[in-house]
Amino acid sequence: MVTMHSVYAHDGNPHVSPGKSKADSQKACVEPTDVMRKEHYLFLLHQRDETVIDGIRTKNHSLANCVDCHVSYDEKGKAIPINSEGQFCQECHVKTATNITCFSCHAAEPRFPNHAKNISNGDIDEISAIAKRIEDE
Amino acid sequence: MSDYTLNKLKTPRILYWGIFLFLGFLILLGLASSAYMEHEGHYVTGMNNQIVWGLPHIFAVTLIVIASGVLNIASMSSAFNKKLYKPLAPLSALFAIAFLIAGLIILVLDLGRPDRLIVAMTTYNFKSIFAWNIFLYSGFFVILAIYIWSMLDFNVSRFSSLIGKIAFGWRIILTTGTGSIFGFLVAREAYSTAVLAPLFIVMSLLYGTAVFYLLLRVISKLQSIDIPPEITTSIRRLMIIFLLANIYFLILYHITNLYISKQIAVESFILLNGGGYTTMFWLGQVGLGLVVPLSYEMTNGENRGFALTITSIMVLVGGFFAVAVIIIGGQAFPLNIFPDHIILESSFYDSVIHSYTPSIFEFGLGIGGTSLALIIILILITNLKFIPSKK
Amino acid sequence: MNNRRNFLVKSASALTMTFIVPSLLSSNVQAKKPLDQKVSNKQSWGMHIDVDKCVDGCTACVDACNEENGLTGFGRPETDSQWIRKVKIKDKTTDKITTMPMMCQHCENPPCCDVCPTGASFKRVDGIVMVNQHTCIGCRYCMMACPFKARSFVHETLTTQNTNAPRGKGCVESCNLCVNKIDHGSKTTACEDACIKSGHNAITFGDLKDSNSKVRLAIDSNSPRRLRNDLNLNQKVFYSNI
Repeated sequence: MVTMHSVYAHDGNPHVSPGKSKADSQKACVEPTDVMRKEHYLFLLHQRDETVIDGIRTKNHSLANCVDCHVSYDEKGKAIPINSEGQFCQECHVKTATNITCFSCHAAEPRFPNHAKNISNGDIDEISAIAKRIEDE
Repeated sequence: MSDYTLNKLKTPRILYWGIFLFLGFLILLGLASSAYMEHEGHYVTGMNNQIVWGLPHIFAVTLIVIASGVLNIASMSSAFNKKLYKPLAPLSALFAIAFLIAGLIILVLDLGRPDRLIVAMTTYNFKSIFAWNIFLYSGFFVILAIYIWSMLDFNVSRFSSLIGKIAFGWRIILTTGTGSIFGFLVAREAYSTAVLAPLFIVMSLLYGTAVFYLLLRVISKLQSIDIPPEITTSIRRLMIIFLLANIYFLILYHITNLYISKQIAVESFILLNGGGYTTMFWLGQVGLGLVVPLSYEMTNGENRGFALTITSIMVLVGGFFAVAVIIIGGQAFPLNIFPDHIILESSFYDSVIHSYTPSIFEFGLGIGGTSLALIIILILITNLKFIPSKK
Repeated sequence: MNNRRNFLVKSASALTMTFIVPSLLSSNVQAKKPLDQKVSNKQSWGMHIDVDKCVDGCTACVDACNEENGLTGFGRPETDSQWIRKVKIKDKTTDKITTMPMMCQHCENPPCCDVCPTGASFKRVDGIVMVNQHTCIGCRYCMMACPFKARSFVHETLTTQNTNAPRGKGCVESCNLCVNKIDHGSKTTACEDACIKSGHNAITFGDLKDSNSKVRLAIDSNSPRRLRNDLNLNQKVFYSNI
């Protein structure tokens, strides 16, 4: 907990994982980026008790929605588990040497892993195009 | 034994290191077993959704029961003012701590999520006997530590009798708590009786005394001294009393169950037609653990240390079976979900007697835990002054 | 399955228009709970099972539950999880043979919650008995305590969980009356859906406190009983015609 506030994976830099997620097309997350970087786990911790015990199912701080938005898709439009190597959650957590246990129980893929367009702003073609552009650069 | 001093264990270094490395190896095996079980999940064990508590719990409950029981010797001195046992009291308290740690470690390492031990230590549900036991065990640990300190440090020795009495009271409550883990399970027919709590107390007295005598004998061999005959005589007498008390409460427990007509099915399962469980009950728990040692002791002379050693071993093996019959036997008998019906079919084994074949990993964990108790004792008696000798 | 749940969420307003508003006219049925509000004790979820309507050999409810909650199993029946199961029983006196689904009975006084050392096993204020898997340490004491063998322990590493049913190795789990669906406004559970769809209509789910709910109508028009009534656990799953 103490080290949480002093160690970040990429201080001040934009996120480095490939921009193939819905989140990369958004201006900001559900809270300001700075706050999210430092305190996302607190939001999740808070929400988890509210959800399990009180049945509150709001979307802003729900882990399922984090995954839906932040998960990346490969060129075929298939979701890549968010805790696999180099992906959104895993990358920073490896750099800061903090273990994520969420995905031992929670799904690491979006609700519709084979229907990217349902939750992405664009469709599969658009995501593939983004992926290709990034690779070219 | 009014004039005595306490000393460190004096034994050849090679012997000490030999035992140390052997126990250390067993502990490593235990840790490896546990790590494997946690990594793969419990499907690699013999436990399943029918038999949810298995061999690790037999080991753990036996060790915790022993932990409370070995304190008997110290209690004889502090609570009942028996001078004979005063020199042995620190050793007795040390054994209690060691066995308590070992039992708890096994329980923790068998949890589905041992990494969440901190949750167990910080989040309590006060209706749960389990949660109470966490307090009882940690309290017992603290009291024992203070008790040992008061016995070893002359400056605070005036408190030792008082703390000894507190420890005595605490251990009775602690064993009641251990017995109640099973006693309050309303739906498990083999368990739903309050007689389990006193039964556990007399079991702890018996097994604890047996373990104490065996360890005392090992230590006296390592130290090349003899156990004073008056100690052997006295422990033998205790053992006979505890054997009789065990037989009494065991009969009471089964008579109580037989009296309640809806419990007759589970009783006849344990006593008559439970296959392996019936065998474990009659040959292990009753025969090897109670009747044979009692008649062996009754027909033997008073001062025979060797006979008492054999008796102690039989009592412990029988005790292991006794705990196994209670834990596994109680789960093997199917739940009576439909009292007016016969269950014909179920995908979840509702109608069958459950079988349990422990895996090598559960056994490894149990042996590793037991070795932990022994290595703690070995290290502490070699480095601190626990062993009495005449001036 | 996920599609259906999402459909329910997204079309909640449509549901309100078509189903709930008409029934408002005739009764005091409440609209679906807003997502940001806590569940309350104004509702008490329960189930009625008409055993005579349950068909031997049909496993629609079991299959639906497995799909809804992602219970795939590993082909090891002794350790694989079962949230709902079919049992076939014969009356000792009359020899009448019946078949029925068994699942968590959602006791008012649940023994599993009494024994749980961390309080992970808990009863929600709307009566659903479930496991908080964030605090479950996997001691299995609840499984020892449950009179109905309703709980399963996750014996293996899982990788293909459904978003709506998080579950993982080392924790205990059981039927939670499709809590995720219910919280998102669904009026049915997966097993009830499947039972209706199969044409048997043996399972009826609903709010026991709502005197006009279909589950209340089912209970009031039959004379159901609870299993192991002698234990006084006041379960919320009722069985008729056993």
